[in-house]
Amino acid sequence: MFDLAFYILAVLILGSALMVVTLRNIFHCALFLVLCMFSIAGIYILLEAEFIAAVQVLIYVGAVTILMIFAVMLTHQLTGKTIRQVNDQPIAALFIISSLLVLTLLALSKTTWEVASSSGVSPSATELGRALMTVYVLPFEVVSVVLLVALVGAIVISRGD
Amino acid sequence: MNLTLIIPEIFLFLWALLILFVDFFTAEEKKHRLGPLSLVGIVITVVLVVFSGQGQAFGEMFSADYYSLSFAIIFLGSAFLAICTSIDFARERIKHQGEYYALILLSTVGMMFLAASRELLSMYVSLELTTISLFVLSAYLKTDLKSSEAGLKYMILGAASSAILLYGISLLYGITGTTVLKGIQAELVGSAFPGPLLVISLVFIIAGFSFKLAAVPFHMWAPDVYEGAPTPITAYLSVASKGAGLAAMVRVFFGSLLPVTSEWIPLFMALATMTMVLGNIVAIRQSNIKRMLAYSSIAQVGYILVALSAASELATTSMILYLLVYMFANIGAFAVVIAFYNHSGTDEICEYAGLSRRSPFLAISLVIFFLSLVGIPPLAGFVGKYLLFLAAIQKGYYWLVGVAVLTSVISLFYYMNVVRQMYFRKPTKNDPVKVSWSLRLALVLSLIGVIAVGVYPDPFVSLISKAASVFVY
Amino acid sequence: MPVPLGYYLGLAAIIFTVGVIGVLVRRNAIIILMSIELMLNGANLTLVAFSVHLQELSGQVFVFLVMTVAAAEAAVGLAIIVMIFRNRESVNVDNLNIMKW
Repeated sequence: MFDLAFYILAVLILGSALMVVTLRNIFHCALFLVLCMFSIAGIYILLEAEFIAAVQVLIYVGAVTILMIFAVMLTHQLTGKTIRQVNDQPIAALFIISSLLVLTLLALSKTTWEVASSSGVSPSATELGRALMTVYVLPFEVVSVVLLVALVGAIVISRGD
Repeated sequence: MNLTLIIPEIFLFLWALLILFVDFFTAEEKKHRLGPLSLVGIVITVVLVVFSGQGQAFGEMFSADYYSLSFAIIFLGSAFLAICTSIDFARERIKHQGEYYALILLSTVGMMFLAASRELLSMYVSLELTTISLFVLSAYLKTDLKSSEAGLKYMILGAASSAILLYGISLLYGITGTTVLKGIQAELVGSAFPGPLLVISLVFIIAGFSFKLAAVPFHMWAPDVYEGAPTPITAYLSVASKGAGLAAMVRVFFGSLLPVTSEWIPLFMALATMTMVLGNIVAIRQSNIKRMLAYSSIAQVGYILVALSAASELATTSMILYLLVYMFANIGAFAVVIAFYNHSGTDEICEYAGLSRRSPFLAISLVIFFLSLVGIPPLAGFVGKYLLFLAAIQKGYYWLVGVAVLTSVISLFYYMNVVRQMYFRKPTKNDPVKVSWSLRLALVLSLIGVIAVGVYPDPFVSLISKAASVFVY
Repeated sequence: MPVPLGYYLGLAAIIFTVGVIGVLVRRNAIIILMSIELMLNGANLTLVAFSVHLQELSGQVFVFLVMTVAAAEAAVGLAIIVMIFRNRESVNVDNLNIMKW
């Protein structure tokens, strides 16, 4: 049952990710990115990481891809045109990347993972929230500064004057 | 939990907010005064950093030790010098000056957190704080297409390199089960690793960091970004963002990956060789002085990587000292470039003809900074390079030091080309180049630094060697 | 966990690689940004899978912060793209004349 769900989601993710990278129409790419992010949230549910799944839907589907779609629409003259979408050295790049992928997959298959020592369940949202406010409070606050910088920066740059 | 330790960072953050706030109530023609105001904030922060004491806060997330102290001083120093060089430039050419200074201060806050972090999570987040501010700053000249292109290119490569770094970190987390550097080290000592997966994760981590340091073959963004970004930001980028990458890299590799040195030292040696050779050779062909300095700063990273592959206490000392020395010489050289640009509006090397007659002070300063970058005694660059090479010789890397010395000699060609223009060519124009007080301050401070560290290096070396002793080699 | 850990990691590695291919091969800046998001998702999935497997919190906290940072990065990146488009009417990285890589 879990197996079947995993395979379906994996096919959805890989298919939509490939679409993002290969399609010509930027708007379609953005829509496939939404599908891809949704399916990855499904994988998080399979992993029993519900909090991360919810955040994935909120941030990636709700914010990032919508932002992308806005950018696509603001620069919309391009979406209709058929432009050459590949740069000059795709073969060399593909070769290096795919050999790295094969090496990574080989290394993953060679590694045997010891079974987790404790038999407890996956960390819950409560535990995560507590950790964010105690052990990880410093990076949490630094991230809020990152958001401030992004806010100031995006406004300064995109303000027309 | 000892909150007093992060007072300097909090103070600098609040000062950045103060700049934003004051900016709101300042008339456009008075906004250039925000520059000196940020300088005041930096000076107070330096005092706070020196006196805030040592210890740990938030577990492993923040550790105020000599290592973070020396890096914090380098970061604050380069922010100070960069803001000094910015004031005239910003008044003439930049809109939204308040946000400009605030973003410089915020990126410095990120760097300070980065140098103090002993845990991958907080390290990643502070690194992003630094780079996102720098993305915005390098795209700051909105009507200048080169600047926006620089911003876009820096943004794309910066974000992609962070993703590569993050993938490496995620594999390392899986192998060791922790993000705390100390824990990673303990795990690597005790287990039967290195397995192939560890090597893969190291390759990703090194590639990610090499992008940040602009080491060959991950350097392709640097010349374009350095050329297009506002020149004071280029000066800041070339020192501070490299310093931030180095601070994190040394923490990660010397603080957690020493048990598996045989896996990563050969990679660093290869990177160092390529970086020194390519950086120095391509710099010869450049006709734009910002591009030339970009390749020269790529080459300087090569020398630092020589020491990184030595992995000893002396290596850490020499790297931090070299960064300090490089900060003075490089920002100083950029200050001359900015002074000349403010006057003439050009960065072409051929326009520097006869500068010795138009401004003897600028010309002689540039000569001194270049000689320090080459490593001629008695200037600071010599001490820095001497220690770097000594660290490598102690480990028996004679050929690597040979390459380093040879490429240093090559670097004389392109530096001396500029000197030849300034001293042995007739000027095309005869009007003297005026230098404002803020640029003069940056130049004088850099000159003092270059000469003081060169003539009397002992106090600097002894302070920095305390920073190097935070790692167990 | 009925599905073995290695499957999740393999899937994550493939997502990451597809993202890298997108960054290297595509020329439109917005699509390059999307591909970077794919790379980050590959790394995130690895972190979550390990975190669940090891019964250890920090991986999931990491993912939460990475997502926030990614949103900030996307906002700044798209602002730069919109600004360039306004100046130049193009978001293709090859049309930016100094983009040689």
